[in-house]
Amino acid sequence: MNTMNAKNQNGFIVVAVFVLMTSCQDELDVINPNEPTPENALTELGIIGLAQGAVYINGQSDSKYGGNMQNTVLGLHELMGDVITSADHAGGAYCPDSITLDDGSILPSINDNGQVAYLREYNIASSMANVFYYEWAFMYSLNATLNDVLATLEAIDISDEKKNTVRAWCYFWKGYAYSRVGSMYYAGIITNEAYKTNDVYVAKERMLEEAEKYFILAEEQLTVLADHADYLSSVDKLVPSVCKPGKGGVMTTAEWIRHINTLRARNLLVNTRTSVMTTDQWTKILSLTSNGVRETDNTFTLRTDEAGQLLSIYNYVASTAFGPTSDGGGFYKISERLIQEFKPRDNRLMNNFMEISPWIDPQRDRTTTTNTRYVLLEQGNGIPGVLVYLDRGIGQQELYLSSTYEENILMQAEANINTGNIDAGLALIDGLRNYQGAGLPSVSGTSLVLDEAKEELRRERRVALAFRGFAFYDARRWGVLENGRKGSVVIDFEAVVNTNATVYYGYLDYWDVPIAESFVNPPGKGSTSITNPK
Amino acid sequence: MKRVYESSWPDLPIVQFRRCYLGRSVSPWLFKLFIIIFIATPGYSQQQRLITGKVTHKNDGIGLPGVNVVLKGTAIGTATDVNGSYTLSIGESSGVLIFSFVGFETHEIVVGGRSTVDVLLVPNITQLSEVTITGTGVPVERRKLAFAVESVTSSQLPATPTSSLDQALIGRIPGAQISSIDGTPGAEMSIMLRGINTINRGTMPMIMVDGVQMGATLISSIDVSTIDKVEVIQGAAASSIYGAQGANGVIQIFTKRGKAGKMAIDFTAGWSRSEQLNVGGLRKGMYHAFDTNERGEVIDPATGDALVQNPETLLYEGSAGFNLLDSMSTMDKPYGQNCCRVSSPTQLNYYDHIKTFFRPANLYNTSISLSGGDARYDFNITFARAHHQSNFDGDGYNERNSLVSNVGFEILKGLKLRSITQLIFNRNTVNIWQKQDFGLGLNSFTLFQTRPFADFEKKDTQGNYASYYGSIVGVNQFNPYYEYQYARTMDKKIDLIQNFAINYALPKYADFEILYGINYQDQTVEHNVGSQTLNQNSIASGKFTSWINFENTGEITTIEKTRIFENFRARSTFRFDLINDFNSSLPLQFLTDITFDYRSDNFHHYGSSALGIPLIPPPVATNGSLFKIFEDYNEEFVTYGYFVNQRIEYKELAGISGGFRTDYSSAFGRGSDPFTFPRADGFFRISGLNGWDGSRFANTILEWKIRAAYGEAGIQPGPFDRYVTLTPRTLGKSNALFIGNEQSNPDLTVEVSKEFEAGSDLIIDGLKGNWLRNINISVSWWKRNTENLIFSADAPPSLGIGTIIDNALSLESSGVQLSVTTTLLKGKSWDWNLTTNFSTQTTILKDVKNASGEIATGNRILREGEKLGEVYGSLMLANVDQKGPDGEYLIPLDTSQLNPETEKKYGPNEVQSAYEVASNGWVVHKGSKQPFITNGKYSLGDPNPDFLLSFISDIRFRKFLSFSFQLDWVQGAKLYNYTRQWMYRDGIHSDYEQPFTIDGQTGAWTAFYRGAYLPARWEKNYFYEDASFVRLRNVAVAIDLSTLMTRLKFNRLQLVISARNLLTWTRYSGLDPETNSYGAKNRYSGSSTLARGMDENTLGNFRTYQLTLNIGL
Repeated sequence: MNTMNAKNQNGFIVVAVFVLMTSCQDELDVINPNEPTPENALTELGIIGLAQGAVYINGQSDSKYGGNMQNTVLGLHELMGDVITSADHAGGAYCPDSITLDDGSILPSINDNGQVAYLREYNIASSMANVFYYEWAFMYSLNATLNDVLATLEAIDISDEKKNTVRAWCYFWKGYAYSRVGSMYYAGIITNEAYKTNDVYVAKERMLEEAEKYFILAEEQLTVLADHADYLSSVDKLVPSVCKPGKGGVMTTAEWIRHINTLRARNLLVNTRTSVMTTDQWTKILSLTSNGVRETDNTFTLRTDEAGQLLSIYNYVASTAFGPTSDGGGFYKISERLIQEFKPRDNRLMNNFMEISPWIDPQRDRTTTTNTRYVLLEQGNGIPGVLVYLDRGIGQQELYLSSTYEENILMQAEANINTGNIDAGLALIDGLRNYQGAGLPSVSGTSLVLDEAKEELRRERRVALAFRGFAFYDARRWGVLENGRKGSVVIDFEAVVNTNATVYYGYLDYWDVPIAESFVNPPGKGSTSITNPK
Repeated sequence: MKRVYESSWPDLPIVQFRRCYLGRSVSPWLFKLFIIIFIATPGYSQQQRLITGKVTHKNDGIGLPGVNVVLKGTAIGTATDVNGSYTLSIGESSGVLIFSFVGFETHEIVVGGRSTVDVLLVPNITQLSEVTITGTGVPVERRKLAFAVESVTSSQLPATPTSSLDQALIGRIPGAQISSIDGTPGAEMSIMLRGINTINRGTMPMIMVDGVQMGATLISSIDVSTIDKVEVIQGAAASSIYGAQGANGVIQIFTKRGKAGKMAIDFTAGWSRSEQLNVGGLRKGMYHAFDTNERGEVIDPATGDALVQNPETLLYEGSAGFNLLDSMSTMDKPYGQNCCRVSSPTQLNYYDHIKTFFRPANLYNTSISLSGGDARYDFNITFARAHHQSNFDGDGYNERNSLVSNVGFEILKGLKLRSITQLIFNRNTVNIWQKQDFGLGLNSFTLFQTRPFADFEKKDTQGNYASYYGSIVGVNQFNPYYEYQYARTMDKKIDLIQNFAINYALPKYADFEILYGINYQDQTVEHNVGSQTLNQNSIASGKFTSWINFENTGEITTIEKTRIFENFRARSTFRFDLINDFNSSLPLQFLTDITFDYRSDNFHHYGSSALGIPLIPPPVATNGSLFKIFEDYNEEFVTYGYFVNQRIEYKELAGISGGFRTDYSSAFGRGSDPFTFPRADGFFRISGLNGWDGSRFANTILEWKIRAAYGEAGIQPGPFDRYVTLTPRTLGKSNALFIGNEQSNPDLTVEVSKEFEAGSDLIIDGLKGNWLRNINISVSWWKRNTENLIFSADAPPSLGIGTIIDNALSLESSGVQLSVTTTLLKGKSWDWNLTTNFSTQTTILKDVKNASGEIATGNRILREGEKLGEVYGSLMLANVDQKGPDGEYLIPLDTSQLNPETEKKYGPNEVQSAYEVASNGWVVHKGSKQPFITNGKYSLGDPNPDFLLSFISDIRFRKFLSFSFQLDWVQGAKLYNYTRQWMYRDGIHSDYEQPFTIDGQTGAWTAFYRGAYLPARWEKNYFYEDASFVRLRNVAVAIDLSTLMTRLKFNRLQLVISARNLLTWTRYSGLDPETNSYGAKNRYSGSSTLARGMDENTLGNFRTYQLTLNIGL
């Protein structure tokens, strides 16, 4: 017998297994070769990249349910502000509660219990149809990444000026994020630590205070930086190259501070009912807007890019409104209530819209307001010097991330009108109309009374700022949500053009906190109500 | 009879080892080690006495090759040659020769003074003598198995038209739920064994081929004709020897081997014709409710003009009106007849889109195989080809060519080599928008949502198809023919599955085997879209087809995916027998198994696109105007570990085994601790007890075994699930980083599945005559706890992210599997076997690690204590005074009550008196004719079936005629019929034709159907349908003419006529109750498991008729 000793064999196997395992240990060291790690942000290039990504990606797109700020969120604002309409949006989530037609007949809501109940039915934890979700998600995604940038920044070896520039950037955009949350939601969360949140929900007013705090922090940094070379070079890197044409160039610190003033004025304006605005508030707005964005100032812009990495040509409000004339336009239709705001012979109307035979939504169990006679043109009709609402050429459309000269000048005009300087206000409106090439006769010096001046202002805001996400704020502060939009043009299903209809919207003025948040982060001790009592 | 002994998996490799060993100092050392092991073999002692003989099969007298002949108590032994003959040198002394061969009773013969010892071996007639290997590693007879293993041999695989193995297995494996996902040729099926075990990695079991894991190739790519046998083990109790990847169970495929003897040539040709099932009679309504003028023309309310389709753009101009929610609206205006292609502006014809697009399709199968061998080698080479047309009109085909060779040699005494090579070339031209591999399936989706007057075959004045006819036809409408005019997909896949095995068996004590398998897949998908800039419809509508392009300028997009999956296993088995090896009187046998197991998975995914294709042909990517790389992704995953198991058997009576499996994984990085999981099992053959044979039971119960097994297996996180990254994006010239909304979790730990199963196998002697001779019963009960389930859970948005991967859940599952096989009839001419498979299982969510005890995910709520997979939604009621789970009326009694939500009193339209039960059985508002729908979300029930039951019957007449059928019964399954709900939206579904009576008024009131669609309360019990069914899965008649035409000397000349899914009895109203949403297939998507039970425009199975000719030479 010559059989190998079994014990020895056992030994060999044990050794073999051991050798195999130890020699494989290195192989376990698999890294993800596809994406950078948080450590990659620990350089100047990295931190600038992250600060840029916070604003242009986290704050604009990349939610778990898709969507983006420019289309989904601003689209909701414009839908609720009746600049655009859509029968299909969230199955009819933006249909008014009722419409009284010229003959006094009432078209009821298509939804049993009105829009408020309807929207709340969608406010469920895990649903892409929850319209409350998006603005909240984008703004907190922006805020959280900025918190991360601020924390990471401490560990990076760059000049103080560069650090402070990044800080100013973070403070400003945090202020922006809190502003938007406080201007749209009944309650919010203040979270200023990296990778953390908390369960203390605070009232919207408190959110706006926190926004103000960060705007002032940003202003302080900018004041000290005073166009330092490191500031200019850092901002140059923070703004993506695609966004630099037009008004998207590098802002001086002074420009940026003016920019902050405009946003601070906006927070005051859009969060107070116009009917209860005090003189103090108007004066404050006047003072802020007097040192707000100027005609020649640069601002933060967004543009489409070839690869669609930043924004594709289909992903903003005006581009989504573009579509075949036989269907009354694209997914968003042009609201008759927008068109009626243009004064006769306004070049902006003639340059941008085409009248078609009325397009009636074939499915009448949806909404009446979608019916329209107007479609949006691409690149306009070519009237020189006149505003073009939509240009889908790649990189052609200048979209605005924060605020603009137009917004500032209209706030200044409104504050003037409401503080007794009617003609000064009207002159500002005239100036803006010229700026946009409206070709309308001046209204200043025509002795308009206060209400007429306010009406000029109202119509101008609707027209000049169309598709930019102000329509809902305005409808809210002007009482349109509760009192209805009187004198409205509504085309009914028999194609009758009503011109004195009243549209009762009944939308929530401030949204409830999305349940996507409260489901996994229930309100803790000291929280305010997260549901609008309306 | 199988020569399963060899199928103990040898593998092998040294040379091929892995790059980890190449170029390292350790590798020569290691090499030497193995050489030592192989060479340190016993030289045999002086051979002084020759014994010769022949081993023959008792039944037919044919020599049995490969039978082990061993001199008892020694290592001296040999195996019989191809003719069953052997020669063995033994010492001077005489002794006892042991003849053993799997599937036969072991025979011992005292040599005495003889020099010739011939033996007749008696086959083990019972099923329990069958040998299986999966789950045990070494071949074990079924009578000694301690857990359930299902096996299906090639002769049992249906002779019916199945182009893929997953289809062929339906109903054959008790406990398995196998269902269709998208119905396109070449598509994979969804397989779930023993219920839901993980959400993280889907339900797909691990697939092994001849002993090594196949990690790159889909099971649907394996041609059925190349398969000899399939073994299935379900769940962790059995599969824990395979480590983390085996927790969902294992399906092991054994490819065909050559048999010793004359070379055999087998040729098979099949043709089949299949048609998409539509068992629920899904169709669009024949009536419409548009406004019409006095001439019956559909009119535009704005102009009063008849609707016109512009011949240049094919867009419907103007509009048309209808109000489905109008309480007086009925669909009573018939569409015109589908008489002609010239559609006048005045009449909307009815086009049966389902009939137009779902066409019968052909499937051609051919295979040829050569096989043979002798005692020293065997070979089997099979070439198989399958060509399967798409059943969707205008779409492509799937074509698969497989070359499989299985070659084995015995190079030294006891040292065997085997190489199995499968080369599969797959060419698939099915449009990507039809395939759910890409998460799509849109062509059928748009088709279902188009109003029936759309004439998709119509061409514009320039001879082109139009993409979009306008929202009047349906907002989601898109013309598939337009897609096929401009877009072509070519999806090519090359799969290589190469296994090497070295097996070295000492005559006694030990055998060693090394297995190495490399599975390589290279897939190139080219999607070629022409420029549509001249298409009048595209210009006018702004609609076009593309994949990557944002414009209608066309593209040539290429996706390349390569996957290299390697599995190396080295196994040593040691056997001792106390009586023979240690002269002890204790009849104990010991078997030790030590296995090292290494796997690596490398995946690369690269996508590039040339956009803007010139109008002048040929389309070449380099002529594009813009180039884009949209995907460049690499993934590497390495796991290895060892398995140690000790088995102890007491005679043939009882056995226990226990061991553990330890795994390292790259998901946890270098230096992390390994995960170790124990296992144990045991069996006891009651019928093997002393005295059983003489007992009164022995005549009735021939064989009775009880068994139990326990095992744990860990399911590892995905390769990068623990790896936190930032996401880069290039914005023009800037490099931005951002925090992606789906976040990894560095604290993630392994999921653990702990399973216990107990069962019994018995054979009962039946009646004495020809009928019901015996009954084989195998029953198993199992219970499983899955802890630390990895789930991509919703994160608070205020954290800045959308989801975070977490160990979020625990599950508890249990079930029963039963298989009964009977020989119903065994007569001179007739044989009739019947197998009945039964299974039931359920999965409960035991624990949700979340403040609320719930996780919401789309339409599912994962709630502690409830069944996993339950669908939640609103209720439509059957009684006006129905109460909810809280005991309150779902419809308030009167207007004095306060609505807690609005804090206002209920209106007169909201209370019970406003409603009544309509004649269709639903509670409907008397005024609006809309159904009542609750606001809150209620559990609508579990989609998983109560039980699955299959009857498989084979009837043979003499040797030439056989008839077989399989009947499957799935009871209590549910499907959420999204297809139907979407068709309610635009008034498309034929349900709109059904009249009912409400408040004394009878009509096909559209308000009811449109009201049921109501999107705000999306899921409703109304659309959650009973998907129970009974299906005649297979029916086949086969005639073997070779026995009749003996002069022609065919081994086989068989003609098979068969049909699959011929008849289905169900109440389900959709295409097929046996479908799943596409999410169910995506192994790596979190939603996969939870997408079960949804019919979202899913195409189902086919009804197929097949003619097959099998020739054996």
